[in-house]
Amino acid sequence: MKKKLLCAVLTVAMVSSMLAGCGSTNKTESTDTSKSTEAEGSSADNNTLTVWCWDPAFNMNAMEKAEAIYQKENPDFKLNIVETPWEDVQTKLTTAATSGQLDTLPDILLMQDNAFQKNVISYPDAFTDLTGSAVDYTQFAEGKTGFSTVDGKNYGVPFDNGAVIACYRTDILEQAGYSIDDFTDITFSDYLEKGKVVLEKTGKPLLSCIAGESDVIVMMLQSAGGSFFDESGKANIVNNDILKEVMTTYQKMVEAGVLVEVNDWDQYIATINNGTVASAVNGCWIMASVQGAQDQAGKWDITNMPRLDSAATATNYANQGGSSWAVTSNCKNVDLATDFLSKTFAGSTELYDQILETGAVATYLPAGDSDAYGKTNDFFSGKPVYSKIVEYAGKIPACGTGVYFYEARDAVATAITNIIGGSDINTELQTAEDTVNFTMGQ
Amino acid sequence: MTNKKNNSVTLKMRKRVRSAGRYTFLSIISLLSIFPLYYMACAATNMSVDVIRGKLIPGTYVIENFKNLLAAQNVASAMFNSFKYATICTLVSLVICSLAGYGFEIYHDKAKDTIFSVLLLAMMVPFAATMIPLFQMFSSANLLNTTMGFILPSISTPFLIMMFRQSARSFPHDLIEAARIDGVTEVGIFFKMFFPTMKSTYAAAMTITFMNAWNNYLWPKVIMMDDKSITMPMLIANLTSGYTTDYGSLMLGVFMCTIPTVIVFFVLQKSFANGITGAVKG
Amino acid sequence: MNGRKKKITLAKKHNLTGWAFLVPATLLIVVMSFLPMIKAFVLSLKTGIGVTMKWAGFLNYIRMFKDTVFMQALKNNFIYLIIQVPIMLILALILASMLNNKDLKFKGFFRTAIFLPCATSLVSYAIIFRSLFAVDGLVNTILIKFGFLHTGYNFLGHATSARIIIIIALIWRWTGYNMVFYLSGLQNIDYSVYEAAKIDGASPFQTFWKITAPLLKPTILLTTIMSTNGTLQLFDESVNLTNGGPANATITMSHYIYNTSFKYVPNFGYSAAMSYLILILVAVLAFVQMRVGDKRD
Repeated sequence: MKKKLLCAVLTVAMVSSMLAGCGSTNKTESTDTSKSTEAEGSSADNNTLTVWCWDPAFNMNAMEKAEAIYQKENPDFKLNIVETPWEDVQTKLTTAATSGQLDTLPDILLMQDNAFQKNVISYPDAFTDLTGSAVDYTQFAEGKTGFSTVDGKNYGVPFDNGAVIACYRTDILEQAGYSIDDFTDITFSDYLEKGKVVLEKTGKPLLSCIAGESDVIVMMLQSAGGSFFDESGKANIVNNDILKEVMTTYQKMVEAGVLVEVNDWDQYIATINNGTVASAVNGCWIMASVQGAQDQAGKWDITNMPRLDSAATATNYANQGGSSWAVTSNCKNVDLATDFLSKTFAGSTELYDQILETGAVATYLPAGDSDAYGKTNDFFSGKPVYSKIVEYAGKIPACGTGVYFYEARDAVATAITNIIGGSDINTELQTAEDTVNFTMGQ
Repeated sequence: MTNKKNNSVTLKMRKRVRSAGRYTFLSIISLLSIFPLYYMACAATNMSVDVIRGKLIPGTYVIENFKNLLAAQNVASAMFNSFKYATICTLVSLVICSLAGYGFEIYHDKAKDTIFSVLLLAMMVPFAATMIPLFQMFSSANLLNTTMGFILPSISTPFLIMMFRQSARSFPHDLIEAARIDGVTEVGIFFKMFFPTMKSTYAAAMTITFMNAWNNYLWPKVIMMDDKSITMPMLIANLTSGYTTDYGSLMLGVFMCTIPTVIVFFVLQKSFANGITGAVKG
Repeated sequence: MNGRKKKITLAKKHNLTGWAFLVPATLLIVVMSFLPMIKAFVLSLKTGIGVTMKWAGFLNYIRMFKDTVFMQALKNNFIYLIIQVPIMLILALILASMLNNKDLKFKGFFRTAIFLPCATSLVSYAIIFRSLFAVDGLVNTILIKFGFLHTGYNFLGHATSARIIIIIALIWRWTGYNMVFYLSGLQNIDYSVYEAAKIDGASPFQTFWKITAPLLKPTILLTTIMSTNGTLQLFDESVNLTNGGPANATITMSHYIYNTSFKYVPNFGYSAAMSYLILILVAVLAFVQMRVGDKRD
């Protein structure tokens, strides 16, 4: 009897000691980390800034170079760069802001341009308004700063360029009797007709893209300054003539076999590297992937993208991808952060010269005038590709993504899939608009 | 016996055919299951562009891939962290959940059965919904970037409790009664009798818990905000985040992330399925 | 008299010990799951963008039934549940009883091989499945070679075939996982039962249905509830294999909830409400399964 009582007591004691054990490790660890929390939430130390960004070869490398440049004048300055993939930046930001734990955010984070307005409007308390700061916004193209502007206030420092380029396999074009000039400053109907010839003579489609992602549609739409939303922010899909033209053009290209849809990013890159398609139209950052196939060196050339036929505002230029730096509200040293950014990403051509070799093309306009941008690239038929990209970037029409950009993009992707499957375009666009309106009506 | 000889020959034949069929079936299924590992191993030895082009023969690029991987990521630290988190999490949760599963079954009554059913509800809400309140708690308790922060939400799971509860059902009650008469304490029964006889359940639970902890992604990605605390799955996410992906080193990383769980399984499988004697003799 | 009194206190003591055994785990679940769940429920009664939320009562719960994408996702989840779970569990049961055979050679190899898929990192598994079923992938190449097809079929581009691929992928990935539970459950069955059945001349099929399956009932209940829960909360395959496409034909509820929380303009009230619908669905199914399967003989 007594033994059993003892036994029960022991059980409880054991269990509680185990919990206490956890508790005490927890205590030691938390004291241990309270130090590091300061280091990785925003930095308490006066000369250190914490940055969240991704891609060691691209964004992180740029930040490191910027740190080195700023250190020349401010030797005590230090960056604590934490590698955080974009998806995780978004998840962490959402979680921190929704749970009211803004003090877990870093000083600076990198944000996809497409998500910028959405995040600022959802979490106005999480960001620092940079209007009127040391950052000179006149040095950037309006098409770029527009992404990070909400209600006339600027919340971001533009970073990499997403100007759309069209890369062509000149050897394939030659087989069909064309040169790169035949694909420069053309319209989509030219593109379609010439694409049919290329397909017939070489068996290769011109273009590939990912089914269910409306990247190509967005590029086409934005090249004519179009948007999924009107100026008041209402969904503008059914009565959007530009979008309708985009959708029918896209449909025609797929039906003719000139545009081939694959299912994911890896296969998309494979169509380019394997030589299954004769061209790639995407943000200029695609060059790094194109150059992955070293055996195709010299066989590629770059020009501008085709434009829409009937839209009055049609141009041969658009934007795809790209990102900007945001300063969070958790930054204790806003002056240091803005001074750093204004003297590097918004003020140093030296920085942009240094990072050019990684494929990071500047949106900072003065950078385009430097000698480094005039250099030729042997992979792309010995052309000065970077100066071309900067030239294209300057001609991109400004267009708003809108807060509900991702919702609209997915709804239109659903629509185009169904249209290609044989559904009526007007019904599908109506459904897409209804879907977007549904999400907006909360 | 002798006049049944013919019969036994056909029986033997039938047996042989049956066993050949069994081996064929198992071999085909094993091949299908192993293919991705083979693919990973091949891809890890090839250049990125060859991986993309679908090359399925081992290459010679493994050293370069390894160098690139080490240059881009702190693999050693991620491996160490993953091991640390997964091992601690597995050990603690095995103790706590097996105690509970045993308690729910051996001492079952209406109240405990009801509580058990209520506990099951805890796993039925998608983690995305509870993540934000949980983050709030952990952030206020200063548990971000800690081992404690990683393991606490996954120590006690309805799934493990149920697994032990269900297997405790085959633990014979007369054994317990006999032990009680012999004066063994309740805790003693658990540790000296239940624990050794349920070795197979523990080994299986260990495999599964280790794997789940090792592959846990959504929670660490929210609470780990420090380069020093990242885990292998986070490292792999880092590798795929750029404009261009180096598929060669990615696949090498993925391969390194898969192997530990496979080894744990291989080592433990004999203990949870030796296939000979029933562990419990009634 | 005295003896009876002792018995009552003994029973009480056992009862108390039982409680002590389950308190740590229960407390942890209460703090780590129930508290956040209550907060999430409160959230589900609110609506709004980001941090600006206002009370909405049960509006979110009504709203989700008007949401065509969510209804499509609900339907997809049930298609997966009804088709995939039974196939997978039966296959796992068959494999486990085959691999429990003590005369079988290379048991360790076969078991590890079949377990491998669920240990495989999601990244490589997704890449492999997508490339296998690509228009110019291995599956199409084989089908064309044997004359079943003339040109490559875009498996992931059509609703039905994309769903079938998700189901195949799920079976491929989780059969070995469930096999582990059956294998360990089988250890608690006395092997002599099988020997006896063999002497009685029972066929393997009979042995399986008459002996193995009934004795494994507690484990089968466990795996059924876990698989039901896992399938209704399915996320990985929808996101990584098909990205929900084509045209939302394969999107799951959890995938949509993730989108409304982290990809789209965040509305956590609505996400929480949809999460609670999953809870209700799983709870009802699990309740029925417990009623049918959780009887102590």
